[in-house]
Amino acid sequence: MASVATNIDSVSGSVARPRRYVDRKSLVALLLFVPPSLILFTVFVVLPMIDAGTFSFFDWTGYGPITDYVGFDNYADVLKHRNFGTAVRNSLIVVAISLLIQLPLAMWCAIALSERGTHVNILRTIFFLPYMLAEIAAGLIWKFVYDGNYGLVPIIGDALHTKLPFVLADKLWVIPAIMLVIIWKYFGFHMMIYIAGLQSIPSEVIEAARLDGVKKWKIVWYVKLPMIWGAIVVSVFFSITGALQLFDLVIPLTNGGPQNTSHTIVTFLYQFGILRMKLGFGGAVSVMLFIACVIVAIVYRRLLFRTEANS
Amino acid sequence: MKRLALAAMLGLMALAPAQAQTVVKYLNLASIPAEVELMKQAADEYMAANPNVKIELPFLENEAFKAKLTTLLQSPEAPDIFHSWGGGVFYEQAKAGVLRPVEDILSQAAKDEMGTAGVAAFTAPDGHMYGMARDVAEVVVWYNKTLFAQAGLDPASMATWDGFLAGVQKLKDAGITPFALGAKDKWPAHFWWSKLVIRLAGMDGFNAAAAGEGDGFAGEPFVKAGEYFLQLAALEPWQQGFEAATYGDASGYFGDGKAAMHLMGDWDYGAMKDNSASKQGIPDDQLGILPFPTIEGGAGDPTDTLGGLSGYLFSKNASDEAVKFLEWYNSKAVQERFGQAGFYIPIAKGAADSMTNPFKVQIGKDISGAHWHALFFDQALGPAVGGVVNDVSAELAANAIGAQEAAELVKEAVDDTL
Repeated sequence: MASVATNIDSVSGSVARPRRYVDRKSLVALLLFVPPSLILFTVFVVLPMIDAGTFSFFDWTGYGPITDYVGFDNYADVLKHRNFGTAVRNSLIVVAISLLIQLPLAMWCAIALSERGTHVNILRTIFFLPYMLAEIAAGLIWKFVYDGNYGLVPIIGDALHTKLPFVLADKLWVIPAIMLVIIWKYFGFHMMIYIAGLQSIPSEVIEAARLDGVKKWKIVWYVKLPMIWGAIVVSVFFSITGALQLFDLVIPLTNGGPQNTSHTIVTFLYQFGILRMKLGFGGAVSVMLFIACVIVAIVYRRLLFRTEANS
Repeated sequence: MKRLALAAMLGLMALAPAQAQTVVKYLNLASIPAEVELMKQAADEYMAANPNVKIELPFLENEAFKAKLTTLLQSPEAPDIFHSWGGGVFYEQAKAGVLRPVEDILSQAAKDEMGTAGVAAFTAPDGHMYGMARDVAEVVVWYNKTLFAQAGLDPASMATWDGFLAGVQKLKDAGITPFALGAKDKWPAHFWWSKLVIRLAGMDGFNAAAAGEGDGFAGEPFVKAGEYFLQLAALEPWQQGFEAATYGDASGYFGDGKAAMHLMGDWDYGAMKDNSASKQGIPDDQLGILPFPTIEGGAGDPTDTLGGLSGYLFSKNASDEAVKFLEWYNSKAVQERFGQAGFYIPIAKGAADSMTNPFKVQIGKDISGAHWHALFFDQALGPAVGGVVNDVSAELAANAIGAQEAAELVKEAVDDTL
């Protein structure tokens, strides 16, 4: 765990540090290490992005040459699509719930489990396990859990002598049901980031606070949280971008249903762009999502990484 | 020494291609183990007779197949032969030049065996033939005789729409789920809309609407189809949670004897067994087929059927060996094996006679006697319009959209593509 902690520290540290003059040694390192990642990034991220941006101005089925230029029509079609608003709303709900419920829960567990010990290790592993599971597998498992005929939910219902709803077929319940899976799946990951941060706090600091008679929650609030601010900033960033890109849990769970009410921006793109062979439409959605992500990243960097630098 | 070795290596490399087998890849959708076994046997047989050919049978699940095919066909990894439902998607592929025209290389005997309908189904608007027809399929109302008896319901009473609704209500009153429906996949719901459109608009009405003539799909018969669909949906005839159920879930639900009826293709005969908990499904003597109810004043012909005329397409890098293999694989003699086992209804002339399964025999007769055998609407109309038809059908089944709005959404989608 210690090595993870230092990694995270150095990551967040280097981001905040002001730029320095590039000396010869680091120039060699730059020339050695930058090209491979730059090439990979260009081939697998930049070029497809430019492609998608190009498609978005054409009417294209995915087959044959791209010739039918339509200007901003695809963008207009996306904005007036009757399911786009729902998809955006759902993505924002996922962001909000992730930040307001998932991260505090992860922090609470991290504080409770940051001391060393066997039982602590077991609990940590249990909480972290869902994160290691493939998204599709997790989605299928929960589809069975929620299945109102053969799943776990009707068994619980029987035990409580009530009839529980078919959550994935219910417009009201479907989003909370998906949110539960998301929290279950990812809170362990954020917990681990926090634990790594907490363990890097020098024990003397906590000791000193304790000797001064500071209450336990005050130690958390005034000592621990400020000292792992870097870890929190990183985890919030992962949480937001992850939520905006949510796709592979939703597909096996609901495929966007019932009645296209549980789409996220990305499942919307897949369903109405790719599967319906309207790649230009899909391109327009992806460009919008990209712009949204870039704005989030820039604003976030300005706001949070800077406050970190100041502190 | 070194030179000798080099020369030997070069020699080997030159020889290698001559000895190498031609690999023929047939990308398929078969998921029933017995059917896969039968396919493998046939492939092995062909490879034994033609040692220069290696047949590979890669598989993709239905939905994954549709999603992946676009990219696959434009890559060097394109399979030589792949499954096709014909219709709008096939026309797009032909237009894009990702298919190989085969009318010159295919033998006349093979074309004759497919019949004119089969040849027409795999001939694109450009006049070229790009594939071979394999089978016909029909969407029918499967019903469970035991559950009908339990509710005291006479299947004959369901021949008209009013009788049909009354029968559904009777089943509900007896505490039996009338229909299984897998609306998560959406296309099972679109069979309802399609059957109603066939009854109400008929062939001419449908073709005119698909071409965008007049009011198109916002015309009266199509709005009416939505209204009839809503009448049925208002009775809440589907199993609970049908909106989260896939086709496989619904098929298993019917196969387990938990729903009285399932509007589904003839392939569900095998699939409902495979999807049922016991793997046995409903025994033949308790299984029946109901004719879809007639609707008074509808423009459709009572013999009209809905279904498919599916087959194979050749990708543009398909080898001559691939065409030769498929000619054999799709011949009457091989088709008969699949027909006999009840996996599909073969299109090859006379091959259907090999079928012993009474349900398949009846369906085969239905189709050959049909005034109009309508292709699956979501395939015939292409993916963009078909997708909207599927969307609104799932919403109609849930009683979550008005008939007028549903019809207009379909018309809008057609207008977009024109």
